[in-house]
Amino acid sequence: MKKFFAVVKREYVQRVRTKFFVVATVLGPLLTVGFTVVPALMIGLKTGGPSRIAIVDQTGNMYQRVANEINDDEERPKPQPTAPTITPPGPAGARDRAQQTAKMVKADYALERVDLNGRSLEEVKTSLEARVSSRALDGYLILPPDLVKGGQPEFHARNTADMITKEQLQRSISQAVRSQRLVDNGIDEKKLDELSKPVHLKASGAAGEESKGDAGFFMVFGAAMLIYMSVLLYGQVVLGAVIEEKETRIAEILFSSMRSFPLMMGKLIGVSLVALTQLGIWAVTFLAISAWAAGSSLSMPHISPFIFICFAVFFLMGFFIYATVYAVVGSMVTTTQEGGQLAMPVVLFLIAALFVSFNIIRSPNSPLAFWASMFPFFAPITMLVRVVTETPPLWQILLSLGIGFTTAVGLIWLASRIYRVGMLMTGKKATLPEVWRWVRQS
Amino acid sequence: MDPSSPTLILDHVSKSFGDFKAVSDLSLQVKPGRVFGLIGPNGAGKTTTIRMIVNITAPDTGTIKLFGKSMTTALQDRIGYLPEERGLYRKMKVGEQLRFFAELKDLPGREADQRIDAWLKKLDLTSWKDKRAKDLSKGMQQKIQFIASVIHEPDLLILDEPFSGLDPVSVDLMKETILDQKTSGKTIILSTHQMEIAEKLCDDICMINKSRKVFDGQLREVRRSFAQNVVALRVEGADGLLNDPELITNVRQNGDDTEVLLTPDASPQVLLKRLVDANVKITKFELVEPTLHDIFVARVKETA
Repeated sequence: MKKFFAVVKREYVQRVRTKFFVVATVLGPLLTVGFTVVPALMIGLKTGGPSRIAIVDQTGNMYQRVANEINDDEERPKPQPTAPTITPPGPAGARDRAQQTAKMVKADYALERVDLNGRSLEEVKTSLEARVSSRALDGYLILPPDLVKGGQPEFHARNTADMITKEQLQRSISQAVRSQRLVDNGIDEKKLDELSKPVHLKASGAAGEESKGDAGFFMVFGAAMLIYMSVLLYGQVVLGAVIEEKETRIAEILFSSMRSFPLMMGKLIGVSLVALTQLGIWAVTFLAISAWAAGSSLSMPHISPFIFICFAVFFLMGFFIYATVYAVVGSMVTTTQEGGQLAMPVVLFLIAALFVSFNIIRSPNSPLAFWASMFPFFAPITMLVRVVTETPPLWQILLSLGIGFTTAVGLIWLASRIYRVGMLMTGKKATLPEVWRWVRQS
Repeated sequence: MDPSSPTLILDHVSKSFGDFKAVSDLSLQVKPGRVFGLIGPNGAGKTTTIRMIVNITAPDTGTIKLFGKSMTTALQDRIGYLPEERGLYRKMKVGEQLRFFAELKDLPGREADQRIDAWLKKLDLTSWKDKRAKDLSKGMQQKIQFIASVIHEPDLLILDEPFSGLDPVSVDLMKETILDQKTSGKTIILSTHQMEIAEKLCDDICMINKSRKVFDGQLREVRRSFAQNVVALRVEGADGLLNDPELITNVRQNGDDTEVLLTPDASPQVLLKRLVDANVKITKFELVEPTLHDIFVARVKETA
């Protein structure tokens, strides 16, 4: 046992102290933020200020409606009909926030009303065209006189490839036209807003408990992502740790001092602790930042402690199973590059598990769901899906955990045997039949 | 335990890898407090034999007894092993590295620290304690590895080719250190293909070739039983004197020397007298003891 801890300690201390660990710990969240938030911002971001769009209204009465829709457009339930030009204060706090977002969106467009004023449409077009080419304007929209009766509006812009703007304009004009048609057919403006209020579906479990759905799905896919990321990041580290003694030729000294199983186990645990340390730092930072950002009104998603425990345990199991695969691979090869290629197909299991879980979400108690949640390479994700959808009996959860952790230990045992014999056959990569012979022989 | 009983006994030990026989039917005994040379050309089976002794791999047949007992993990702690293929953790500091190896041999931390400092001082490496292994020269790394193999003061020290890659000064230092270990009562197994080194250091030897033992015994005994009648000469004008088949069976040139193999019953005195009578100018006349190399070659020929 003492030797086992010596190995764990060495793997842990030597890795946590490296610059790589410190840099990865700091950069990890930054990169994650970078990859999720920045693209979102980029799409929302209009470089060079709001799009300046002139609207030539030939109907005489549609400008206001269209302008409101454009300014308000967002794929969200509209809080309230906004009066032309100014935004009335919303009644509740939640609405304030929604309208704040709306304001932000509004800033994307600077609209300008253009009347014909006796000029011909062609004249107006020419002058607008001139402004567009001189970059005083980004585009102009022409609403034909028969817009409500099916006339086709036209949009001329410098950048015709801007899908987002095009989509948004089309949606807004459609909305405006629909409302106008309803009003034309004698429906009161106030009534109209009432009638077009969207519906929100509230889902709840069979026993009347509130649905675990939303938070649950976030957890499952969060867990899948977390396992995937940590396996990708730390699988390589496990691989490196196993190969290290082969490359540096220390293996012989180690094997003359201890058995290979505690050695392999020590390596895996040591590296895993490094991974968990890093994840722990990230989790604490994340919680601290979100607590700070949300102020006092931190609204944690409602998650039962049981689900939380399942999340933690199945995450650990998933990490160990896949990390041990890297250990087995590491025991067979002589360089990290070879190992990376060999381990890649195994990570595909993780992706397969995600696909299977789409099916399980819809029928969490099917035989497929049961077997998928017992198969150790799928279980970390599939069992978690079942737990958050329709919690299976406890014995199934425990059985799945039992199978999973036994598999991990079995793989470590396998890795230690292959490693021990492979070390004696130095210098070449092992073929699978050879490996099988070693396992039986040692 | 009886102090004179062997430290290590190998009894009809064999080991194969697939079709390849690495060690066949090897029996030997290593006596306490002596330097035992395991000698043979590359690929003879030395390293496999050692790996079986240190319990890295198990023999297919035969038994190995260390200190009178079958091998266990606890017994491993009483062995110090310097493998032929050497390595250190490249990015680990020298001091920490030695500490780790000591822990692997169940040596308590504080004691390990003291011994590490003492050894580093002895081998003149104190200033390198906080350096990473990759910053050390190859010779220095080898000394560190040697320290790692003796840090827990093992009763049996196994050194596989301990001198390869060392400069002459370091070779002398290493020899001295090995003899120190012997003086302090340790048993040492020295595996090498360099027979000259074995000749200078070993008390007992076992020679193996192509997985089999060729011969073994006390070095002195082995030599005596092999005493050949060889004279190394450096002479001028001895032409014609060296082809009397009654006296001389073979003549060969060895550098500046002429090596003359006399017939078994002939006395070197006779040859010397003839040379002196013929007024030959003699700058060297030396009775040559058989080298291990000669013995080895002769024995391999015999058994072939």
